[in-house]
Amino acid sequence: MPTKASFSIASKSSRTLVASVFGVIALAMALALRSQLPGGELRAVSTIFMFIALSQAWNIIGGFTGYASFGQVVFFGMGGYFAAVVMLKYHFSFWLALPLSGCFAALFAILIGQPLLKLKGHYFAIATLGVAEGMREVVINIADLTGGGAGISVPIAGKFAKTEYLGDGGFYLLFLALAIFSLVIGTVVSRNKFGYGLRAIHQNEDAAAAVGINTVRSKVMAYALSAFMTGIVGASYVFQQVTIFPERLFDVEITVLMIMMVVIGGSGTVIGPLLGALSLQFVSEYLREHFTNVHTFILAGIIILAVILIPQGAVNYLREGIRTKDFSLLTNIRRYRL
Amino acid sequence: MSDVPILETRGLGRRFGSLDAVSDVSFSVPAGQILGVIGPNGAGKSTFINLVTGHIKPSSGKVLIDGKDMTGQQPWTIARAGVARTFQIVKPFNGMTVRENIAVGILYEPRGTNRMAAALSAADEVLHEVGLDGSGDRMPGELSTADVRRLEFAKALASRPRLLLLDEVMAGLRPNEIGPSLDLIRSLKARGTTVIVVEHVMKAIVAVSDRVLVLAQGKVLMEGEPRAVLADPKVIEVYLGHRYAKRQKGNE
Repeated sequence: MPTKASFSIASKSSRTLVASVFGVIALAMALALRSQLPGGELRAVSTIFMFIALSQAWNIIGGFTGYASFGQVVFFGMGGYFAAVVMLKYHFSFWLALPLSGCFAALFAILIGQPLLKLKGHYFAIATLGVAEGMREVVINIADLTGGGAGISVPIAGKFAKTEYLGDGGFYLLFLALAIFSLVIGTVVSRNKFGYGLRAIHQNEDAAAAVGINTVRSKVMAYALSAFMTGIVGASYVFQQVTIFPERLFDVEITVLMIMMVVIGGSGTVIGPLLGALSLQFVSEYLREHFTNVHTFILAGIIILAVILIPQGAVNYLREGIRTKDFSLLTNIRRYRL
Repeated sequence: MSDVPILETRGLGRRFGSLDAVSDVSFSVPAGQILGVIGPNGAGKSTFINLVTGHIKPSSGKVLIDGKDMTGQQPWTIARAGVARTFQIVKPFNGMTVRENIAVGILYEPRGTNRMAAALSAADEVLHEVGLDGSGDRMPGELSTADVRRLEFAKALASRPRLLLLDEVMAGLRPNEIGPSLDLIRSLKARGTTVIVVEHVMKAIVAVSDRVLVLAQGKVLMEGEPRAVLADPKVIEVYLGHRYAKRQKGNE
């Protein structure tokens, strides 16, 4: 029925319009906030932007493709260390180190993706976790290059500092740009041929191969793209922190946060991880301020409730609710009962 | 039309441990024909489809498509050569609408469009062909069993294949629902598509097939004109046991 098809396409373009209007307003607000907020809060909001970018990156491989990477932080750490090493030892400017660090992470993803992406489900999750943990030890043990456990510092002043330190306001803009970049990539992927191929792989890999999708290449490309996006965030984080340590840069907590944001917001959507990153960061900040002693306890409780009540994530829950006109959480639990 | 068969297998075989699921299957299908493949449960029909489409690698023998050796190629390479299939256990993309399920196949077809919007409107034609008009916006999970089978059929048709392998697309359909499926297969033939129909519904096989291949215990039992094959005592024996076959003979 052509009428129906054109209707759904029209509604898609009107959705795009609404989304871009909201996007422009949000961007204007973000830019206006920059001059209003004190330094500490600028850094807090920068962290939110950082996690928006990270959760979008994880969503490419974990959400669209359905390969839950529990070692995603390895790309964050490798991108970060690559940037630190080339800036310190080879006096690269940050703006050159930034894209290169992403490529370095992507290259590593292509290398380990070939064997790892043959694994499925829990096996893939555990294998990637192992890679991240192992890489941290490697970085600690090649101290000549990485500074080992004592950490490494990026030059921010003096004649070897090719790029001047950006300051709170500068990093605010940098992380905002990374967040926007990741949202654009996420939106493009969610609508193009490549993205539909990834979804098909997620939903049935055999059937995807049967309709002509090169599942091996698509998965490796998704992993590399996700690694690139994570790597450049890692490099920016390193520049912001100046001195970094393997424990922090390969901290499994960073992976866990990315996954939580995607899962709570709604994996496989663009808006889901965005909402997840915003809400999780805001809620955790709020709790830290008002319930200093028990804030992680309360946050954990909220996360557990969210996962039990809406395991498919907020955005997917709302979409299904609108489609079926049934918002009952009980129905929802029954539908997604594990 | 050239004389090169669209599909040919030579001594095709696959071993699972000590079991020869398919062994020494040699046959060819000329372009434009409808070949029925029958055989009792466990005869190796689905394994045979998996071997031809690259989902299982053969242990021995060759698969030739348009005379080109495609043995051991990946499923997507074979799909891009113009070969489509359905799965006996249906495999819809459950997180997409019915229309998107078809559109994915159109996007990844080598000669097809790369634009999603164009693929989505082309998908409606395919939905119409299989009788799923109006279900485009629904999710596969909301369809009836018969409609899920139609969707499986439509997903294979999306790529406009030259060779189509149907693995029991009519299983679970009511008798009055089989007719439209048969009409569709005939219309595919009219369009020049070669179709291999694996089916348990004998009436359907007789109605559409130009030729029938009987598999039993992984081997080719016989091959020929549909009615003659179905009346053959050897075929009756593998389906219904030798005592039944003997009694049939006695009655004659």
